[in-house]
Amino acid sequence: MKKTTVLVIEDDKWLAEQYVRVLSRAGFETKVAYHAISAIQFIDKKLPDAIILDILLTGSTAFTLLHELQSYADTGAIPIVLCTSLAGDLPSNTLGYYGVKKILDKTTMRPDDLISSVRSVL
Amino acid sequence: MGVVNGDYERLLDEPFEDGLLSLVAAAHELKSPLALIRQLSLMLDEGEISFDEYKRIVKQITLTSERALRLTSDLTKSVRLNDALFELEPINPNQLCSDIVCELRPLFAAHNCSLRLVAKKQPALLVANRDLLRRIVMNFSDNALHYADDNNLVELKICSLNSGNVIRLGVRDHGPALPADVFRKLRAKLSSAPTPIHARPQSSGLGLYISGQFADIMNGKIGVVRHRDGATFYVDLQASSQLSLL
Repeated sequence: MKKTTVLVIEDDKWLAEQYVRVLSRAGFETKVAYHAISAIQFIDKKLPDAIILDILLTGSTAFTLLHELQSYADTGAIPIVLCTSLAGDLPSNTLGYYGVKKILDKTTMRPDDLISSVRSVL
Repeated sequence: MGVVNGDYERLLDEPFEDGLLSLVAAAHELKSPLALIRQLSLMLDEGEISFDEYKRIVKQITLTSERALRLTSDLTKSVRLNDALFELEPINPNQLCSDIVCELRPLFAAHNCSLRLVAKKQPALLVANRDLLRRIVMNFSDNALHYADDNNLVELKICSLNSGNVIRLGVRDHGPALPADVFRKLRAKLSSAPTPIHARPQSSGLGLYISGQFADIMNGKIGVVRHRDGATFYVDLQASSQLSLL
């Protein structure tokens, strides 16, 4: 049976490693991109089933990436879980237009929240 | 797209002279390491991890705490700059940078990166406050580590400029290049020193602002050079005339 692939886009390498640790244990296949450019390169090769996305990325913000993903039908359909320490500052009502299905607050979330969020958006 | 309201967007464009902005920037900078430490601690608490994983997580918690503590210590120091006297003395930049390389080696190794000193055998002495200069170079190194790609090298470079009157200590990373607009913004800020300069997009640039303050009080200045594959953040300080007496 094909495993669900989750692309983790997070520029803090140890936090990305932690997400991978948690998701892998839950049976997901995980890939990591530390910045938007490498994320696009990965998505061009293979569409992930879901994306975990940090807001403040090296090189460009996540919003540039969200715009890019929404420009194409196939990438625009990938469900996105925002994982950010700016959760309180984000207008969740408008982010839905950018494929964002869930917002997790890095400062309050628990490891299991990552798994349940990914499962809920698939 | 103006979806982030309020403070963060202002942080990228405004100087930190406003006390409230500094406070918000400090809070923002500390959120990331604290969030990471919390996630890792929760992971340990859940158990069911191998001994090797346990050791790695504990090491990451320790090193992340140390990084966060360095920032808080720099913040405290920067707030008290005007009330304190800082002794300037001739310093061997080679020795200082060697010490920093030794100190940061475990942190870089844990990130699969390495830190190397590139210097002449006998660089000129420079005039600085040892503690403040150390904080600047540590700060640049932390910044470089964040942007360095896996298995990459970060270099501490020492060179002399202006016929040997100025000594430059630079930290060269090989991460993603600074976007042109960010670089232009940095250069514009630098040309109107002592206003603060900012780091790359996701950073509030507080660490660099503090480094700028430290350099300023030593009659030095900080700056940035953009490369195709990264950047060099540097501090320029006066060379010491004591060398001619040796």
